[in-house]
Amino acid sequence: MASRARVANDLLVQLFKHVPWVASRWARRHRFVEAPGIPWAPVAKPLSAMTLGLVTTAGIHLKDQDPFDMVDPDGDPSFRVIPFDARREDLAITHKYYDHSAADRDINVVLPLDRMRELRAEARIGGIAAFVYSFMGHIDGPHLKSLMEETAPEVARLLKRDGADAVVLTPA
Amino acid sequence: MGLVQRAIEAKGIPTISISLLKEVTQKVRPPRALFLRYPFGHPLGEASNVKQQRTILLDALSALEAITVPGTILEPGYAWRRHRFE
Repeated sequence: MASRARVANDLLVQLFKHVPWVASRWARRHRFVEAPGIPWAPVAKPLSAMTLGLVTTAGIHLKDQDPFDMVDPDGDPSFRVIPFDARREDLAITHKYYDHSAADRDINVVLPLDRMRELRAEARIGGIAAFVYSFMGHIDGPHLKSLMEETAPEVARLLKRDGADAVVLTPA
Repeated sequence: MGLVQRAIEAKGIPTISISLLKEVTQKVRPPRALFLRYPFGHPLGEASNVKQQRTILLDALSALEAITVPGTILEPGYAWRRHRFE
């Protein structure tokens, strides 16, 4: 029974990954956490004076870090801390819910590391936070509570520590 | 991703996200988002297309500064593989 459930889930994953309307239909029917209100922190300084942080849910991690859990159908609410200046060859993507062949060729497609460096060099932005925080997304079931009460607030605290004035988030 | 974004904003740091699924973004309601009708795995466009990636990142940063109403989703409307980025 467990293996049949696994096969059904794997089939769903493949459809999700390759057939766009499957994902749209899932999004329309799926129940999402609908919290009241919208948090708001006003932008306090110009971009040229801001240190920008990066957060992604594209499943990126350092090769020597544990990959994300691809077996649990409810996903993995943990995150990986990646130095912004990590070498490209030390990064890997573990994520079966999207086709990351383009990102494997050019990481900037999901995480704009080089584009951020260019903007910093041109002084369009003031600086870049020292660490990138990476999740895998597709978190459901009991892991939502861990994400909302533990790992996401922890990343927020770390970004504060890193001196991020604003944060850009990229999905998969 | 919207939940992580909300948690960061709630700690007092302004945030902007790129969204590839408008239905989800409308439900999770992050403070600011830039929506692109692009396939999964391509929030900043195509591999090696520097102009496209740069434009989308700059659009996101402009949205960060421009959006004043919480929950706003901006849509630059770049057609996938048809829009020419100069």
